[in-house]
Amino acid sequence: MLKHIIIALFLMGAINTTTTAQNLHSTKAAKIRFFSSLAAEDIEATNSQAVSKLDTKTGAINFIVLIKGFVFENELMQKHFNEEYMESTKFPKSEFKGLITNLSAINFSKNGSYPAIVSGSLSIRGISQPVKATGSIIVANGKISVKSIFKIKVVDFGITGSDIGKSIANELEITVTSQYD
Amino acid sequence: MKKKILVATLSILITAVIGVWFFVFYKPTHFKRDVADEKGISISAPDLVKAFQENETAANTTYLDKSVEIKGEIVEAKPDQSGLTMLTLKSNDAMAGVLCTLKSADPTLKPGQTITVKGICTGFLSDVVLKEAIIVK
Repeated sequence: MLKHIIIALFLMGAINTTTTAQNLHSTKAAKIRFFSSLAAEDIEATNSQAVSKLDTKTGAINFIVLIKGFVFENELMQKHFNEEYMESTKFPKSEFKGLITNLSAINFSKNGSYPAIVSGSLSIRGISQPVKATGSIIVANGKISVKSIFKIKVVDFGITGSDIGKSIANELEITVTSQYD
Repeated sequence: MKKKILVATLSILITAVIGVWFFVFYKPTHFKRDVADEKGISISAPDLVKAFQENETAANTTYLDKSVEIKGEIVEAKPDQSGLTMLTLKSNDAMAGVLCTLKSADPTLKPGQTITVKGICTGFLSDVVLKEAIIVK
């Protein structure tokens, strides 16, 4: 009898874990691109190895990315980005932790594209700043993907230098695309 | 004689101008770092993961931004959003591995194969991450 109860409890536990796991979606290949556009010069870099986790039950969404993983077309820019602006040896990671604030408007079990609002905190160079972004969540046959474009001010993250405002824009456009496994 | 000197001076000058232009302006912005030309630090996938798990700061000092040549077993191979092949190499910890994004897609790679891959180490998230990797063997 006791044995049966233990097995039943174990099974319940197992079922419970599976339902929790279904809320959690993750990827190791989220893509993050930033773009600086000025009359003098366009600068862009992409990192396609960001780790992202999405909890469809709580609306928690986070991203973590390695600064040295950003690839530029121009090798010298990549060097300056890492050494002068981002100090990527000292601050190797950047992280975003947020919550989908209009979670009730998104039906993760029905195909469609849903507008989403995310607010959270973005940390770059060890400095955290509140960020609010809008984007869309696309549900297609159980697969979830996320896309958002938002802007950040470089000065908010203590990034300074004589080139800011001249060849590097004061505001950078960040594009995030993430397809969850 | 005078003409010869003039020609010599001119050719030296032209070479110098081209040289300065190439090394100061062209090469730093256009030259692309290629792991194929670099001698990588050789290490196995389990050892590399262990190094980062035990002391991330120390491992960053040793491996960050360096070419690393890793031998390991593929546990997962799939294309990323841009179609490039992403490999995860096995370590002794089931929760961590080495994630390599290859420079060019290679759909022939399959889980279970043991390979040697060379790429630039960008750090440690849930896995040790290598970018712009190539298959050595």
